[in-house]
Amino acid sequence: MPGPLIESLARQGITRRTFLKYCATLASMMALPPSAGRAMAEAMAAARRPSVIWLPFQECTGCTESITRSHSPTIEGMIFDMISLDYQETLMAAAGHQAEAARLDAMQDNAGKYLLIVDGSVPLGLDGAYSCIGGRSNVEMLKEAAQGAAAIVAVGTCAAFGGIPKANPNPTGAVPVSDIVKDRPIVNIPGCPPIPVVMTGVLAHYLTFGSLPELDDKGRPKAFFGETIHDRCYRRPFYDRGKFAKTFDDEGARNGWCLFELGCKGPVTHNACATAKWNGGTSWPVESGHGCLGCSEPDFWDAGGFYKALSVPADPLRIAGVAAAAGAAVGVGLSFANRAKKGAAKKAHQPVTLADLEKS
Amino acid sequence: MSLDAIPIHVVNPTPGESALTGNAPPLLRELAEQVRRLLETGEPSAIDLSALPLTPADLDWLRDRLGSGEIAVTLQANGESTLNETACPGVWWVTHHNEQGAVTSQFIEVAFVPELVKAHPQDVAIGLEQLELSLSGL
Ligand code: SF4
Ligand code: SF4
Repeated sequence: MPGPLIESLARQGITRRTFLKYCATLASMMALPPSAGRAMAEAMAAARRPSVIWLPFQECTGCTESITRSHSPTIEGMIFDMISLDYQETLMAAAGHQAEAARLDAMQDNAGKYLLIVDGSVPLGLDGAYSCIGGRSNVEMLKEAAQGAAAIVAVGTCAAFGGIPKANPNPTGAVPVSDIVKDRPIVNIPGCPPIPVVMTGVLAHYLTFGSLPELDDKGRPKAFFGETIHDRCYRRPFYDRGKFAKTFDDEGARNGWCLFELGCKGPVTHNACATAKWNGGTSWPVESGHGCLGCSEPDFWDAGGFYKALSVPADPLRIAGVAAAAGAAVGVGLSFANRAKKGAAKKAHQPVTLADLEKS
Repeated sequence: MSLDAIPIHVVNPTPGESALTGNAPPLLRELAEQVRRLLETGEPSAIDLSALPLTPADLDWLRDRLGSGEIAVTLQANGESTLNETACPGVWWVTHHNEQGAVTSQFIEVAFVPELVKAHPQDVAIGLEQLELSLSGL
């Protein structure tokens, strides 16, 4: 339904103060000055909702889950009030030909103006036959939808960098959106899954300023991906003092020391977990005792083992190089060796230890 | 199974561990400047406390310096928010919580009345309509 946002919010019992409070927090998370919160609230309250088409490709629906099932449905649900979501397979009531018709209508009515959200990677193998919707390949649909889009938001590591479908040996020939579309502005919101507030933040920025936020060299919004997990990690004082947990249940682990030696990829991972946290600000992976996997970086799946300590600490752009080398040279051999070891351990009813997995 | 059966013991940080960083005193100076600006031009301002590297000890120190004033406002909007005037009139300590009670953002606001407390004219107009509706039924 058209009309200013604040009216449709009011119809759902969301008060102006709730909205103001939400914008203040959002501005704070985006590292905008406090006065921006009010400017955002004013601009967004009056904004007309842009048409959004959301295409799911080779994905697990985890990104949609992350966003729609976040802690505070009324607030994160606001994004669905800020936009007119004209096509989203998982959420829409229509199915089959009706759904496809809705997509084509929206694309025609809002040509050149709609926002295209993509989750999932695009398989190019076998002419794209690995993933089709209504008999049409993902790559074909992406090219068609990109033509009329004002901008594209690649949600999740799969759409942004290829993600797990692209993991070595990449059987479907999966590529990220940016490999296919070259002539439209693209924002990457990686994460496996991405943090809901990052998604909302980008939409809010688009609605408020009519433009996409400032991006880093990997196409990610700087406001959320400007710093590494390590920069903002509350275990950082232990790293700086050289106090590391060596196993998951030793004295150091109990004392909350740094997880670097247990394979934490925080020093090379740009994401907002350490500040935005997960599950409504309850906690985040490092806080619950596990190192960062590096899920918002390209090829994190092939970066040499989740429990293997980084060889060179705190050099931000390192991970891509490490990943490429491991993938090409030892990646495949390593994974087979580990599988054999796991099988042997199972037979002997022995638990697999970290050391088993990391010895190659 | 009782929780004691899980062989994990919580170790609390040793006192003195989360010490002062020295980042708080410059904030007080900035605040003084902002209060002066409020007096001279009427322009409100705010400091975003989550944007700064402050330890819990720093925040306690700041709160201590600012003290508490006469007014404490509680707002129920998708979780509780508190807007408390400090001992320095015009300086408000604002904390937003989500529905789970976690702090989502924290500000020091410098204003005669924080924006969130004021009623918006559009909302007042809606209120008036409702009043008139109930009057018409009398
Ligand atoms: S290595 Fe990981 S656990 Fe250690 S300080 Fe960095 S991000 Fe935190
Ligand atoms: S801690 Fe690291 S791996 Fe885990 S969700 Fe955050 S960025 Fe991804």
